[in-house]
Amino acid sequence: MTAPLAAYEGIVGATVLRQLRQFGEKLSGIRVVHVNSTREGGGVAEILEWMARLMLELGVTASWEILHGNPGFFEITKAIHNGLQGHHVEISSKDWKVYEDVNEANLDRLRPHLEEADLVFIHDPQPAHLLRLCDRRKGKWIWRAHIDISRPYRPVWKGIRPIVEGYDASIFSMAEFAQPLPHPQFLVPPSIDPLSEKNRDLSPAEIEAVRSEYGLDPSRPLLVQISRFDRFKDPVGVIEAYRMVRKVSPVQLVLAGGGATDDPEGKAVLEDVMEAAGNDPDIHVLLLPPDAHRTINALQRLATIILQKSTREGFGLVVTEGMWKGKPVIGGDVGGIRLQVVNHHTGFLVNTPEGAAHRIRYFLHHQDSIDRMGATAREFVRENFLLTRHIREYLTLMLVTLRDIKANFVNV
Amino acid sequence: MTPFEVKDCALLTRMSGLPPAFNLRELRERIAACGDNVLFHHYCETTLRATFDNPDYRNDFAVWSKLYLGDRVLAERLGILDPYLFPSLGELRAATVEVIDERLGELTMIPWARAGDEFFFMEATTVMFSTGVRISHPSELADAVRKMTNGSIYFHFLEARRRPTIGKDDFTSWLLENEDGGRNLPYIEALASIDYQFHTLPDLRVELATRLSGLEEAK
Repeated sequence: MTAPLAAYEGIVGATVLRQLRQFGEKLSGIRVVHVNSTREGGGVAEILEWMARLMLELGVTASWEILHGNPGFFEITKAIHNGLQGHHVEISSKDWKVYEDVNEANLDRLRPHLEEADLVFIHDPQPAHLLRLCDRRKGKWIWRAHIDISRPYRPVWKGIRPIVEGYDASIFSMAEFAQPLPHPQFLVPPSIDPLSEKNRDLSPAEIEAVRSEYGLDPSRPLLVQISRFDRFKDPVGVIEAYRMVRKVSPVQLVLAGGGATDDPEGKAVLEDVMEAAGNDPDIHVLLLPPDAHRTINALQRLATIILQKSTREGFGLVVTEGMWKGKPVIGGDVGGIRLQVVNHHTGFLVNTPEGAAHRIRYFLHHQDSIDRMGATAREFVRENFLLTRHIREYLTLMLVTLRDIKANFVNV
Repeated sequence: MTPFEVKDCALLTRMSGLPPAFNLRELRERIAACGDNVLFHHYCETTLRATFDNPDYRNDFAVWSKLYLGDRVLAERLGILDPYLFPSLGELRAATVEVIDERLGELTMIPWARAGDEFFFMEATTVMFSTGVRISHPSELADAVRKMTNGSIYFHFLEARRRPTIGKDDFTSWLLENEDGGRNLPYIEALASIDYQFHTLPDLRVELATRLSGLEEAK
């Protein structure tokens, strides 16, 4: 449950909240609909949970709708997702038909919300086809791409591009993720909710309870990677890095993640991870339920070092979450991780298991660096990557789009 | 005394539509041809963008030259260009192109960035609005600054320098307009003593508040 806006004052200050309320007054009564394909699991659902509620509190009539699909649909959209991130996948014309049919099957339920809205935000490719079906729409439609589509597998991009070209604008998390499109392409990095179950302060007793529950040794350093069991997160590479460090330092590793209803590939990846972990008692592979937010929170706080050794990544909100807990991050040199992890400043970027092992060993012998980089990282998150900055940019975007502002400087 | 009206602004960044630059020659060509808004964004508005870095240089061209072209000489020469000291963006553009041309003349190979590290040209819309907060006396300035958003600090202390009177921040202009027998002079001198090129906006807020509150404590 998202906290009321006033609850954030102690974290971001009263001035920031005043600014949001002033923006809200200028958008009072505007009808906004967000659509994605899952209510739980993954960073997008987490963002929409608070965004819809806080927009309502700021006076915007916001709602959050879900595109319902079946396992076959999610197999296809997962392939589209992977293809947009550069993976070579086969999507047949029959698959594209299933994709369109599921969008169409949702239409009757969603049409009243979509056609009456002043602004519709469609998140990621799953519900993107709805635009073509809503021929009586009267508002502006914006496609929000949460993933890195900088080097898509061309056949998949050729399937999606004609769909998203029809939107009035698109939003990418970083310039590096964008593709040329015939409409304005806004850049809005995502953010975290510091008062969510996953990020709020926890009592020492609760943190220790999680340590005991999973049999973690308090006397030895703990490496933690939190992510879906997804090949792009390279969990097997993390195990390789751990094994290299283990030869010289007595570390423990936690690989923890939940599944998402729109990610059918997770089971196969989890099996590969279990096989790679073998019988090592110091590798803890935890498949957590979607609501295990406090457990994830505690694991991040228990971590000595946080890892996110992805080979492809959208923004990588889990990195932001780790930093919010005052931890440095060793991350893959890809996607949004590059925006967040600055070498020797907030952590280290690595390209291989060997690189990760090297940096882990460095940190294990430089506690002062862990403390300094962790503190720096937390302040950067406070200043730039909390939901208050994110919602301000959305409100600005809504003002600019609804008023069709073309100028580069405008007084409202 | 005319009250000072505190304004705030928010930045909405977007792609400029220019192709990215993969090497120094492409950077030079794009800078020579891009719109003023693109140049302004990478020199001035960049400080308002969300970031995890506190780079050595305050403009994106210098940062890219250092990090991705690996050309520290060029980074130093670009990094010292202060956009607020140029009377116009045209002159800032000419100076930037001149620095790059000079460097291209010194090099035997054109520095290039690897794929994924190219320079992306962006621009932004700045939405400005009144906060309803007013400052009625210079003695209130320190406290007011402490409560300002990054947007207000940017608008009044940095962006103001590009508006007439060129080179003056809004606080200084207000103090000068309401000068009363030299009483505002210590405030004006305190503001002028801050080298804004070396601060992030949160740091700048602290620096401004510290300098101004120091005057109150000295009274």
